[in-house]
Amino acid sequence: MDIQQLSIISIYHYLTISALLLGLGIFAVITRRNAIVILMGVELILNAANINFLAFSKYNGGMEGVMFSLFIIVIAAAEAAIALAIIINIYKLFKSVDVSRIDTMKE
Amino acid sequence: MHSLIQLSIVVLLLPLLSFVILIFFNRRLPRRGDFVGVGILGTAFALSLYIFWQVIVQAYDPAFRVAWDFTWIDLGNVPGLGHLEIKMGIVIDNIASIMLSMVTLISFLVHLYSTGYMAGDKNYGRFFAYLGIFTFSMLGIILSDNLFAIYIFWELVGLSSYLLIGFFFEKESAADAQKKAFLANRIGDIGMWLGILILYSQFHTFNYQEIYANLAAGKFALSNGWLTAAGILLFMGCVGKSAQFPLHVWLPDAMEGPTPVSALIHAATMVAAGVYFVARIFVVLTPDALHVIAFVGAFTAFMAATIAITQHDIKRVLAYSTVSQLGYMVLGLGVGAYSASLFHLVTHAFFKACLFLGSGAIIHAMHHEQDMRWMGGLRKQMPWTFATFTLATLALAGLPLTSGFLSKDAILAGAIGFAQVEGGGIFYLIPFLGFFSAMLTAFYMGRQIWLVFFGESRTHLKPADDHHHSHDAHSGHDDAHAHHGVHEVEWNMRAPLVILAALSIFFVYSPDPLDGAKGWFMKMIPTPSTVVGSYQNHSDILHAEVIKTSHEENVVVEHQNNKHDAAANATSQTSTEHGEHFYADPRQAAVIHAGHGAHYTAIYISSVMVILGIGLACVVYVFNIIDPEKTAHAIRPLYLFSFNKWYWDEIYQATFIRGSVIIAKMLSWFDTHVVDGIVNGVATIVRNFAFLNNSFDKHVVDGLVNFTAFTINTTGGLLKKLQTGKVQTYIVMLIFVVFGYFVFYFSRLVY
Repeated sequence: MDIQQLSIISIYHYLTISALLLGLGIFAVITRRNAIVILMGVELILNAANINFLAFSKYNGGMEGVMFSLFIIVIAAAEAAIALAIIINIYKLFKSVDVSRIDTMKE
Repeated sequence: MHSLIQLSIVVLLLPLLSFVILIFFNRRLPRRGDFVGVGILGTAFALSLYIFWQVIVQAYDPAFRVAWDFTWIDLGNVPGLGHLEIKMGIVIDNIASIMLSMVTLISFLVHLYSTGYMAGDKNYGRFFAYLGIFTFSMLGIILSDNLFAIYIFWELVGLSSYLLIGFFFEKESAADAQKKAFLANRIGDIGMWLGILILYSQFHTFNYQEIYANLAAGKFALSNGWLTAAGILLFMGCVGKSAQFPLHVWLPDAMEGPTPVSALIHAATMVAAGVYFVARIFVVLTPDALHVIAFVGAFTAFMAATIAITQHDIKRVLAYSTVSQLGYMVLGLGVGAYSASLFHLVTHAFFKACLFLGSGAIIHAMHHEQDMRWMGGLRKQMPWTFATFTLATLALAGLPLTSGFLSKDAILAGAIGFAQVEGGGIFYLIPFLGFFSAMLTAFYMGRQIWLVFFGESRTHLKPADDHHHSHDAHSGHDDAHAHHGVHEVEWNMRAPLVILAALSIFFVYSPDPLDGAKGWFMKMIPTPSTVVGSYQNHSDILHAEVIKTSHEENVVVEHQNNKHDAAANATSQTSTEHGEHFYADPRQAAVIHAGHGAHYTAIYISSVMVILGIGLACVVYVFNIIDPEKTAHAIRPLYLFSFNKWYWDEIYQATFIRGSVIIAKMLSWFDTHVVDGIVNGVATIVRNFAFLNNSFDKHVVDGLVNFTAFTINTTGGLLKKLQTGKVQTYIVMLIFVVFGYFVFYFSRLVY
């Protein structure tokens, strides 16, 4: 395999990275007990989506994907703020950020 | 409305007012309100006297009659019956006006008398209230103008009689007596009602006058036998109320009531209502029905007289004497001596009320001793009672110069005339029984007078433990043996005696001491002509009308032949007479004519009989020529037969009462075994079915319900586990679902 070939980064690479990120993000969201780590997982998922948008935008030749990813970054920032506020409230209520102990939705 | 009608309505309602006031307020009034009863009855009597004056003295017309009626209940057009309305009305004629004054007078006197006799009784006020309702009902019987109204009042007097017989209802004998009286009357009343219905079914009216008119017009569509049956059924009411032979047993027992009640109800007025009723329907009675009535009356008169001879209780002697005299009245109606019979009703009411009130005075003075064996020698202590009692006794025995003589003689003369006209040997039994009973009457009344008033006092002879004779015992009275101080009664008990005794003298009724027919009474109460005479037994009335005249002539001729020729073939004659009734009117005329002819015969025979009876009483009790004890011993079966009242009570006990009990037991058996069996069988079936149903419910229906619940419960239990409340679980599920959807969706795209 030559350098040219190596330097050529096809869309599949992007998509593979994105899928890995998504999987890691989901894994974090599902398995972690700390709410803040879960929030980090969510950020991973969002960034996986961003990579998808940018990859398709590059190979399609339009600017729509870039615009979407910019929006997502903004929204992710807002989401992070709100999520942290929620986590602080949860902590106030339960004296903990361990989601395995927060099961009052059962009732 | 005629002024007399208005007045009579007032008279009718006054005693009811007395009843209403006394039954509700007697405890709040001074003296328990006895003055209310006495005052109201006094007023009613004064008004009745005015009516009497207007009708009898002023009008002096045998046919006087005023009537008024109104529609009481209008039921409109009843299917199958036509227009049905029930009218109420009042009729005042001579007999009604006489009865009105008689009843109010006696009721007034009894009220007055009771203020003395019943003094101290704990139910003093209620007694006067009952007397009021009785007087009201009795006046209703007298004044009503139709069969329906008379039936209502008839039951009302039955009720008041029931209440008053059982006035001392704490005593068992009184309670039994009132039941007996009520039941005996019931039997008669059922017959009476059936009779009324027979007449109503034909004429669609209850009114007397309309019934007479319709019958006379030949509108009776049934056979003559039905008319006879109607007459006999109506007469059954009289049999019950007037204590005639088969149903006479209640009247002697009714003496359990207070003595003033015996005087008012069971001697003077209510028992006479039966006779009054038969007199009202006299014109619709067929000759056959009249024969039955005559024989029943004659037999009753005779039987009761024989019983009265041996009784010891002073009131029972008088009670049987009342039955006997009522028998005379019924006999009189049966033989067609209508006016004589009603005459006897009125005269008997006065002297029998006097006798009962006199016996009440004696009982009162003797501290409730009623047994004549322990009386005696009272004439010195009680001169007023003695004089009035004796006068009334003479009237009852039928001695000349008394009212009883006039009326009894008229009845007996009618009976002789009847027997002559009927011509059969069996019919001579009626006057024979009448005369024989007259002798017995004289005998037992002589015995009573002697035992009560003459001789020495036998109070001390009374066995010490003999308590059961002291009937009529008021509560709170001293011992029955305390006979010291027997003295004359107070004025309020003496005055009624004197008034009633005065009304037992002949000149009140007739100027001639030997002939009642010359008096105002029998002139004012003529025998009404029968309306069944022109009634045909045949279906084709027209045909009968044509041949009627000739038939009548033939029959009259036959009658004359029969009278002249004593040896005429009596049986064939009677059979022709009974077979057809074309000549019922001539028959009636012949009976009345013969009755007048027999007047002197009757006087002679009855005088002889009365003297014989009194003489016999003198021989036995005054001169002691025949010792009553030994005689009784010598003819012991006869004595016992009489003493035990011909064993009627025992016969009824053995037949009707035991029969009823047996029937009741059979029905009870039927009930318990058959009816109950059916009911129980049905119940068992239902119960088993219910058990089946129950198990079906339990296992099938409940099973389904429980199964549903179980399923839902289980499912819920399973699904519950999915809801952990942890966000991460939900996210996992979400991811699975999305992933599953993608797998599903894309697999469809691929294949």
